[in-house]
Amino acid sequence: MAAEDADTATFEDIDWDAQGISTLGVSRAGLAELLSYLGLIAAFVYDYTWNTGPLVFRWDVLSVEWLFIGTLIAIVFHAVIPLSQKPRLRAFYWQRFKKNQVAVVALGWLAVMFVVGVLGPLLIDPPTTQFTNQSVPPVGMSTTVGGVVKTGTWQYPLGTSAKGQGILTLVVYGMRVSMEVGLIATIFSVIIGSAVGAVAAFATSVGRGRIDELLMRYVDVQSVFPDFMLLLLLTYLFGSELWMIILLFGFFSWEGIARTVRGEALQRASEEYITAAEASGANMLYIVRQHLIPNSANSIIISATVGIPGFILGEASLAFLGFSDPTTYSWGRTIATGQVNLASAWWIATIPGVFLFLTVLSFYYVGESLRDAMDPRQEVDGGGGL
Amino acid sequence: MSEPLLSVSDLETQFHTDAGTVFAVDGVSFDVDHGETVAIVGESGSGKTVTSESITSILDTPPGEIVGGTITFDGMDLTTLSETALQDVRGKRISHIFQNPQNGLNPVYTVGRQIGEAIRIHDHGDPEVPVQRQVVDLLDKTGIPEASARVDDYPHEFSGGMKQRVLIAMALACDPDLLIADEPTTALDVTIQGQILRLLEDLQAEHDMGIIFVTHDLGVVSEIADRVVVMYAGKVMETGTVEDIFRNPSHPYTRALMDCLPGRGGSMDRIEGSLPDVTDPPAGCRFSPRCEHATEACRSGDQPPLWGVDNGDTHEASCVYYDAEHDEGELAGGEGATGGHQ
Repeated sequence: MAAEDADTATFEDIDWDAQGISTLGVSRAGLAELLSYLGLIAAFVYDYTWNTGPLVFRWDVLSVEWLFIGTLIAIVFHAVIPLSQKPRLRAFYWQRFKKNQVAVVALGWLAVMFVVGVLGPLLIDPPTTQFTNQSVPPVGMSTTVGGVVKTGTWQYPLGTSAKGQGILTLVVYGMRVSMEVGLIATIFSVIIGSAVGAVAAFATSVGRGRIDELLMRYVDVQSVFPDFMLLLLLTYLFGSELWMIILLFGFFSWEGIARTVRGEALQRASEEYITAAEASGANMLYIVRQHLIPNSANSIIISATVGIPGFILGEASLAFLGFSDPTTYSWGRTIATGQVNLASAWWIATIPGVFLFLTVLSFYYVGESLRDAMDPRQEVDGGGGL
Repeated sequence: MSEPLLSVSDLETQFHTDAGTVFAVDGVSFDVDHGETVAIVGESGSGKTVTSESITSILDTPPGEIVGGTITFDGMDLTTLSETALQDVRGKRISHIFQNPQNGLNPVYTVGRQIGEAIRIHDHGDPEVPVQRQVVDLLDKTGIPEASARVDDYPHEFSGGMKQRVLIAMALACDPDLLIADEPTTALDVTIQGQILRLLEDLQAEHDMGIIFVTHDLGVVSEIADRVVVMYAGKVMETGTVEDIFRNPSHPYTRALMDCLPGRGGSMDRIEGSLPDVTDPPAGCRFSPRCEHATEACRSGDQPPLWGVDNGDTHEASCVYYDAEHDEGELAGGEGATGGHQ
């Protein structure tokens, strides 16, 4: 056959992937992921036991940054690599996604936020308190406070805070915090939620309804639990480190995903390819991972994307109320410090506020458009609205 | 004659439900040989699917349970086999294809990967030949045009008939001895039906497989079957070669089924009444409440044994009229009689 060579090349990817499943239980991508995580853990252990100075050049990796790197690895292996291997699938969804032009702009905004948030703090020095440059307005503006005229300079394009910290630097550092909060908390809630949902659905389908009952009743209990009070209590008791706040967000917000995945997986579990897998001796882990979760992926991605802005807003609210980690530069904290000076220095609270608003809005738009692109059942609603 | 490939004898499968025990399959026996197609015919709820699923124990257990009988396949009794041993039989020696091709394929993987998986998990095929080569050959064999280009397509890119071909390719991946086809053409339109039936016949000839063909469609039976098992409410009503059944339907139920075929007997006849409640089957012949020839003897005791019809050793009917005391000629009196026997 003339086309044979081309076929072999395209089939190659699938081949090793599936080959791995039947032999070691891990594919090549899975192995690479495992090694990445082992490397991360090794670096973490080294940094916390022997290493005293900064780990890489002058970057002293913080607890939350370890989690963030772990999250990014997960995103690379479970979103970027699969998408890059499936150009047709990617083209199909992109075709549908880009129908919503606002969402495309929003996606662009989020991409900028992500890149600047990840790389910015590595390149820019952290904001420093400088009493010589307090409350300088953004470039091209001037204010008069107590008879002193201050004019914005290019040194601080977005002005400075009441402590003389550059607003631009604060905003860039805040991007990192927002991305960390949104992505890490979402990864945790997605992992727990989809595992619980898929296991509950699978248990029902094999006649172990009691497991399902147990898991889903716990979900009910947790969903009516006042998380915010618990958060306040825990931050009061144990301090308010960012990683802890993020983990609390992640561990107390997976109920929705668990319910969505369970509903989706219940439908799938009755299909014949699952029966066939069971009949061939596949265990629960295999069926959940290979069949139930991939088939619920659309719902998972949609609810995850829609969930991110909630986490970002939640952290900003906590920070605004003063419960945030004092060593991080959260937008919520900058807004809180700026709101007392709103009359004399509007930019301190407003500029991070605008960034927060646009980021949250963008996540909603991207989530909505993803829903339209990936979930055909929602199309009857017209979509697009918030 | 040597041992048949599959021999089901006195199979009893029950479902334990809240409403009571359902006697879904109640003492069913039949044999299947290499290269032979046995059709199990019956209306919905007659137990034909449960029979076919009992063979490889792919029933949901609980609530289902095989409570009696033996299923001898290649010298092994499948009812007593361990789950691990069964897993080796399923897919590798005995394959299933089902009614709805939409549910048989996982939409998130390419068809090539799914067929390849079937080859790999059963450790089948020539290890020298790359798996993708074998997959393309299988797709080619099941009549999928441009198989080498379509192997990387996702299930939603195939039509219903093409999906069924993919599933047949998957079922054939390990060159099984027995193929159990549970209404494989019901969800397809008539033109595709014919193609799939011809495909199965060709593949059967090539691989010398036994086929159990479960259907309610007598038209399909006449085209594909060598022998027919007519089931009703978990019992075998009549068995025989396809000629026996179509030339000389002997059990009143079989005759009634034949009369329901458009263009045969009284056009668009139907069988009065409905299937009995299988949690509490009627005494005597299961069909007696709906049978116009039923006598006192039919309504008591158990289902009559399978009596030989026409002195032939292939044709049997579970009806009292065929025992030594009755004259089966009495049955011919009813309307729609198609029998041409002595």
